[in-house]
Amino acid sequence: MSGAQISSGPAGSSKSLKYIIGIAVFALFLAAPLLITSEYILHILIMTVYFAYLAVSWNIICGYVGQLSLGHSIFSGIAGYVSVLLFIDTGLSPWIGMFIGGLFAMMVGVAIGYPCFRLRGPYFTLTTIAFAELVRIWLENTDEFLGVQLKGAMGLLVPLRGDAPALFQFTGKEPYYYTILAMLLIAMAITFWVERSRLGYYLKAIKGDQDGAEAIGVNSTKYMLTAMAISSFLTGLGGCYYAQLFRYINPERNMGIDISIETALMAIVGGQGTIIGPVLGAFLLTPTGELARSFFGGALPGLHLVIYGLVLVLVVIFLPKGLISPLRYLIRKGVDRK
Amino acid sequence: MAFFEIKGISKSFGGLKAVDNLSFHIEKGEILGLIGPNGAGKTTAFNMIAGYFPPDKGEILFKGENITGQRPWTVCEKGIARTFQLSKPFGEMTVIDNIMVGAFARSRRREQVYRKAEEILELTGMTPLRDVEAHNLTATDRKKLELGRALATDPELLLMDEVVAGATPQEADAMMKLIRRIRDNNVTILIVEHVMKVIMGLSDRVVVLNYGKKLVDCPPGEAACNVEVLKAYLGERYVNPSDS
Repeated sequence: MSGAQISSGPAGSSKSLKYIIGIAVFALFLAAPLLITSEYILHILIMTVYFAYLAVSWNIICGYVGQLSLGHSIFSGIAGYVSVLLFIDTGLSPWIGMFIGGLFAMMVGVAIGYPCFRLRGPYFTLTTIAFAELVRIWLENTDEFLGVQLKGAMGLLVPLRGDAPALFQFTGKEPYYYTILAMLLIAMAITFWVERSRLGYYLKAIKGDQDGAEAIGVNSTKYMLTAMAISSFLTGLGGCYYAQLFRYINPERNMGIDISIETALMAIVGGQGTIIGPVLGAFLLTPTGELARSFFGGALPGLHLVIYGLVLVLVVIFLPKGLISPLRYLIRKGVDRK
Repeated sequence: MAFFEIKGISKSFGGLKAVDNLSFHIEKGEILGLIGPNGAGKTTAFNMIAGYFPPDKGEILFKGENITGQRPWTVCEKGIARTFQLSKPFGEMTVIDNIMVGAFARSRRREQVYRKAEEILELTGMTPLRDVEAHNLTATDRKKLELGRALATDPELLLMDEVVAGATPQEADAMMKLIRRIRDNNVTILIVEHVMKVIMGLSDRVVVLNYGKKLVDCPPGEAACNVEVLKAYLGERYVNPSDS
């Protein structure tokens, strides 16, 4: 606050404070498996990072443009099935199958986006749900398609190969943790790059006023489809990871509407249209959900959904911009104290 | 070949003919005023030129090229920018970010776009408002932002829709100076305005519309004396041909 602060003023010191916090948090995450002794807690951590990854991917199209897609699990589901089927039928390593699955998901994303982006608000959301449910129900009722065994509602087991890193299978949990952590960091880096680029500015402009944006050169359909392609590809990669983590995939778990809603909730609660927001949301809601399931799951199944609903209501009332607003406030206070 | 020309464009909304067989041209470097009573079809004409919706009939030609029915972003890329009567700011973005969106129409590089936005802030006198979120601006500042954003797209033809509405006399004077500066920077201007001092003071020529049809197309001084124009604005009862 004094004159001497001017050169490294509030903006400068808040940046260095953010760097310090960021590095400390990153180091903590790297060391986590060494500090955690319980397998169960490591599993919760892996699931949390996984949902953070899904939320960050969802945010790239929905958070910035402000449309609510509740059918995103269609991408993780389709990509997961593609990579698992490629592995079962041709032995192709899921590391490569992942990218093929992601490409499939991207094509589906663009194909769905094209009609959906003509719709606004609730109509857009309902249509995304419709597409996702359509594919899920079809899969659930289809045992075989064009000679490929889909096994319908029974799902597919990924053949066990034991300790086979080249085939995306590990015996311990730690490699899975580091894989999803790396994926999360890459997704956040992509979000950062999009935010600063013309695409990011155009997406925010479309959210602000679509007609105004179009009048100054923004082809809204083209840019929304671009963001959708990135988001659906990344979400697809996540679905393939999930299939490898559990070595099992079925329509209800991987393409269900629950995952879509939870992903969207985490991004919204944490702070849409920001890089860290969706991560914060995932870190609040995933452990809460897991703990609710383990303590009350027997007596009160579905309680975790009730809790999610309550959290959403509270956040919308008290922190409409998401968890990220008190975080920013705290950082600014920390800077002012110096 | 005229710089800009519309030929016989018409638009109906249901039974209402908003624009009826309208034709006029604009010379490069001039300021053309488009005036007429409320509901005369001025904004509808703008909307068709900017590609917001296509005309039912007729052609729009820019630098010899037929741009009838092209989408707004294509029209912008070709060099025509427009402001909206009810300004459309990107509420949660800052003023400079708003302008950067416009500048991105010509370049992908962030540093270049940032510098262009700063120039526009300087030109429109909005530098102190740089980091203000657009939804916190006053009505007049929103209009300036609207103008700044359109200018950032480096237009050759600028369509301005009532930029002085609601401004104080001092603000109107400042806006007139700004518009003249814009014209001096090689931008041709088509301006819709109700404030007579502004439009008569700025325009090289005016086109007067009434009920979607063109009444006259002449220098401002002549238009003010034209009987048909007076009748359109003041009504039949108040205009006695023998007095003019």
